[in-house]
Amino acid sequence: MEKKSSENATPPVAAPLKLFGSWASSYTHRVQLALRLKGLEFEYVEEDLGNKSDELLRHNPVHKKVPVLVHGGRALPESVIILQYLDDAWPETRPLLPADAFDRALARFWCHFADDKLGPAVGAVFASTGEDQEAAVRQVHENLALLEVELRDGAFRGRRFFGGDEVGLLDVVLGCGSYWLAVFEDVTGVRLVDADAFPRFNAWLRDFEALDEVRETIPAVDRLLEYARGLRHMLLGLAGANAAAPSADAPTTAAAAPSAAAADIAVDI
Amino acid sequence: MAAAAGVELRLLGEWLSPYCIRVKQALAVKGVAGYEYVEEDLEHKSELLLSSNPVHGKVPVLIHRGAPVCESLVIVQYVDEAWAGPAILPSDPYERSRARFWAAYIDDKFFPSWEPFFKSKTAEDRAETFKNAIPAVETLEKALTECSSSEGKPFFGGDSIGYVDVALGGYLAWIKAVDEVAGTSLFDEAKFPRLAAWAERFAAADAVRDASPAVEDIVVFYKKMQAAETGAEH
Repeated sequence: MEKKSSENATPPVAAPLKLFGSWASSYTHRVQLALRLKGLEFEYVEEDLGNKSDELLRHNPVHKKVPVLVHGGRALPESVIILQYLDDAWPETRPLLPADAFDRALARFWCHFADDKLGPAVGAVFASTGEDQEAAVRQVHENLALLEVELRDGAFRGRRFFGGDEVGLLDVVLGCGSYWLAVFEDVTGVRLVDADAFPRFNAWLRDFEALDEVRETIPAVDRLLEYARGLRHMLLGLAGANAAAPSADAPTTAAAAPSAAAADIAVDI
Repeated sequence: MAAAAGVELRLLGEWLSPYCIRVKQALAVKGVAGYEYVEEDLEHKSELLLSSNPVHGKVPVLIHRGAPVCESLVIVQYVDEAWAGPAILPSDPYERSRARFWAAYIDDKFFPSWEPFFKSKTAEDRAETFKNAIPAVETLEKALTECSSSEGKPFFGGDSIGYVDVALGGYLAWIKAVDEVAGTSLFDEAKFPRLAAWAERFAAADAVRDASPAVEDIVVFYKKMQAAETGAEH
């Protein structure tokens, strides 16, 4: 079959990998975790989301967001798309997606649920107060309940991870994001993941967070707390003069683009 | 692994839904025939639909040997993987990522930017909302150039209909119907020659013709909808 060597073909697998990301972005963490699980070396570039680099904007002109993975000069934006690319380009190495077509469909469905429903609901809790927040919390609980049902009786019953004995695509997608739940609980004072109401979800999250590659990837909880506190003050326009002093990494991001930063945490890719 | 008639494969859908249309188009492209199609009344959803899609309760749902697959793009990928037949997604990993990227763009950016135009009722509103829909169309014109390359292949999928084609294709009959009623041309031939040519070729393809509703039928529905001042949920 005639196949032109076009600008569109995959580069050789040995070509260098460069990841543009943001340290507090769960979407970035997904890609970092996936690369580590697959044992792939990569260069990491920390982007200031309030002042994005020309290189990032060149690689993602449509959305202008992180993460972007550049493989041998070819740019790949959108975390879930990047993760599937890693499986397509390195099929022999620690697959993230299951082999069976139906199981793959399930994984993709729940990944979309995570980004389309659960993520925005969690973001809404974080960005609101009072009755609005109560409504958002109910939404989060409804969403978690759906996952709990799947873990208890449904598609994922009896499994340690959504991917089975080992983490897969859905674990990476849900997991890199779920660590914010405890952080947001702390910052907002709202109960999100009751261990009694969601025992299996809690057990899964605990097992996920205990993995070496995950611990390498997720920032320390005190950094996340500090970042989240600063962000919440911005979002709610509270007199935040005596909020914990932001770290060196946080201020430009939080100050310059609070809604963008909040969006990058939970809502937007 | 040919689908036997009836119960082996069932599609729960609604004739007007772009997401159902695109699944039908994908099934046709893949050469999957003999499935049972169930037209759902979205005001009175069937037990089968609600139990097959407990999370969203929405169409389309593809039920294969009793196992439901939900979300149109998830279904399209499933169809591509579960049946032999012409490939819907490309085989090259990078090209696959581009196809996924543009399909997501179509649903997450293009459609939301067009939707206000679809909902507009006055000439004034229409002028404003139509203008706001154009930037996404410009982006898609560039996308088609990227996907079809300098050789000017007819589809986003190259020589044959692929993933991005059905992603956009699900909306095409609606786009034409609204253009007809509003007196506009979203994929204007002068401004967007490649998209205009794509729209014509896509609509003329056998697989698509059989899988898509007639534009005239949508026009009738759309006019009624506008007159009744109800928003359509699709």
